[in-house]
Amino acid sequence: MESDAPIVVVKDIEKRFGNYVAVSDFNLDLKQREFFSLLGPSGCGKTTALRMIAGFQQPSKGEIFIDGAPMRDVPANLRPTNMVFQSYAIFPHLNVADNVGFGLRKKGLSRQEIDQQVREALEMVELPNLGTRKADELSGGQRQRVALARALVMRPKVLLLDEPLSALDKKLRETMQLELRRLQQSVGITFVMVTHDQYEAMTMSDRIGVMFQGKLAQVDTPKRLYSAPLNREVASFVGSMNFLKTSLRAEAADVLRVEADGVGPMAVKRNPYGIESGHEPLVGIRPEQLEIGTAQPSGYDVAVKGKVTNVAFYGESIHYYVGIDGQDEPCAVAVTNYFHTVDHQVGDDVWIGFQNSSVIDLGKYQETGSPGF
Amino acid sequence: MAISLRSDSAKGYALSMPAVVYVGFLVAVPLALMVAHSFWTQDYIDINRELTLENYRQAVDDPLIRLLLIRSVVIAGLVTGLTVLLAYPIAYFIAFKTQKKALWLILVTIPFWSSYLLRVFAWKLILGYNGVLNSGLLTVGLIDEPLSFILYNPNAVVLTLAHAWAPFAILPIYVSLQKIDPSLLEAATDLGNTAIERFLRVTLPLSIPGVIAASLIIFIPTVGDYVTPALVGGADGKMIANLIQVQFGAANDWPMGATLSIMAILVVAFVAAVFVISLRSAGRRIR
Ligand SMILES: Nc1ncnc2c1ncn2[C@@H]1O[C@H](COP(=O)(O)OP(=O)(O)OP(=O)(O)O)[C@@H](O)[C@H]1O
Ligand SMILES: [Mg+2]
Repeated sequence: MESDAPIVVVKDIEKRFGNYVAVSDFNLDLKQREFFSLLGPSGCGKTTALRMIAGFQQPSKGEIFIDGAPMRDVPANLRPTNMVFQSYAIFPHLNVADNVGFGLRKKGLSRQEIDQQVREALEMVELPNLGTRKADELSGGQRQRVALARALVMRPKVLLLDEPLSALDKKLRETMQLELRRLQQSVGITFVMVTHDQYEAMTMSDRIGVMFQGKLAQVDTPKRLYSAPLNREVASFVGSMNFLKTSLRAEAADVLRVEADGVGPMAVKRNPYGIESGHEPLVGIRPEQLEIGTAQPSGYDVAVKGKVTNVAFYGESIHYYVGIDGQDEPCAVAVTNYFHTVDHQVGDDVWIGFQNSSVIDLGKYQETGSPGF
Repeated sequence: MAISLRSDSAKGYALSMPAVVYVGFLVAVPLALMVAHSFWTQDYIDINRELTLENYRQAVDDPLIRLLLIRSVVIAGLVTGLTVLLAYPIAYFIAFKTQKKALWLILVTIPFWSSYLLRVFAWKLILGYNGVLNSGLLTVGLIDEPLSFILYNPNAVVLTLAHAWAPFAILPIYVSLQKIDPSLLEAATDLGNTAIERFLRVTLPLSIPGVIAASLIIFIPTVGDYVTPALVGGADGKMIANLIQVQFGAANDWPMGATLSIMAILVVAFVAAVFVISLRSAGRRIR
């Protein structure tokens, strides 16, 4: 098998339900053996996109290729994809082994081969000796594993997962995140997971596609998505972000010199996606990239004076909200290393400092806060 | 309040009391009386209350009774089979293929809006010697003289009852189909099954409870039906209930009538049990 050709190519897909456009301008290449997540708010079209790859829904426009072959005329039952459903869809009238072997029985294998593969699949998801259990005697986590085994035993070219972890409690979900990732690496199959949980997407994926209103806003690695989001919407969906409206003072090939009211001049790396910044570029700074202190901090490119307006305690971090003269919104500062530092109280005068390299160019400022794509 | 309900179980008993009394008087007592009668004998106009199995011996030895019992079970079986077979596609259509479920469900119940007797008479009008069907076929020229095999025989009984029972089969099957999680069907497709395989491997086994319910609802009362055979069955279409009616009426032999009733109940229970067990195990064998 040649290695670098994309396993799935989604080309110019659009999906309409009547007049409603659920997915549009959808282009995506999925690499072999990658863990890809579709991330976005509820109703943005993630499930619809996934179901078009699976063949449960026909695109209104565009074409999907899997391993080079066009899928337009290939019905769902003949596609080299398998799906893990959100509800797991374990057949209630069959026991675990028959559930896992359900698709294998269609492949003309002998009884022994089926039994053998079912056993291996159950071992792979760490459910050995559970074959004779009835579907309704399984816990949520076990059902999820059965659903995984049932899909993986088919050796699909692409495994599609629709919010596979959303029905599990927090602790189990965290365990399963790691396990799913380990499983994906060991079987070497491309996984496409739909989720609306940005932490889940970031901990598990090689790449993430962020969707809003039926369109892919950005496709990138988790780290780049977090540190170089291409606009305000993506930036605030994958974490919290302080936004500053600025005025352009000078621009070079890759650096913008901008100034924000009450903050002063900053040098910002130009948006890597070539987004036009205009005269009022919007910039963002992640709360944990900011330093807070009672005295003016040294060694930072920018230092600003402000007043604490609010304090929120999260356990692993404390968030201080600092009002700055000239800015409408208080600036959030996250302090994680706080055991040995002074606590600031509401009303305290403080300084915040940051490096230019922490500042992200988010394109042209727009009143609505949703820059056009 | 006059009555204080001390515990949940006391409350439960209190709540179920009316039903218990009702069922006790209207089902348990008459049933007990019937069982008692079946062990008594008719002594001209008196009833001999000495317990004996004489009635059962006579009934088992009587070839007519055997014939009627077997015929009742066979006709009821045919009615059940035909009704379920016709009802399944309708239930399937309502559950999966239409958005106007409420409308269809109301349409299904429309036969209930007229009395059962009227519907039987309607069938007589349709199937009779000078009935709608015969005159229609005659006019079209498909037949030269009226068909006589369509009324006053077991076929007419089966046809009439299959029509009358249709809603009773459609509704439980519809409910069991409706309960099937659509993602199960998609999962079956996803795992490589065609629409027909998916039906046989998922939809059908999951709807077996509905089929069983429909079958029992139809089979049990049909074995004991006497109105339909009396009206459209003719001599060859008589069933066990017609004989039971005669025992309680013209023949004035209540103990024998009770015995036949008990035998009919036992036969129904046996056949129903065999049916349910075999259908369940057939369902379990589908993988
Ligand atoms: N079969 C359908 N008919 C009409 N509209 C549909 C259909 N399926 C989805 N939609 C609409 O398309 C939009 C996208 O739906 P989709 O299920 O893809 O969202 P999603 O991103 O998966 O959301 P969630 O996170 O809530 O699952 C929604 O507004 C939904 O109402
Ligand atoms: Mg969804």
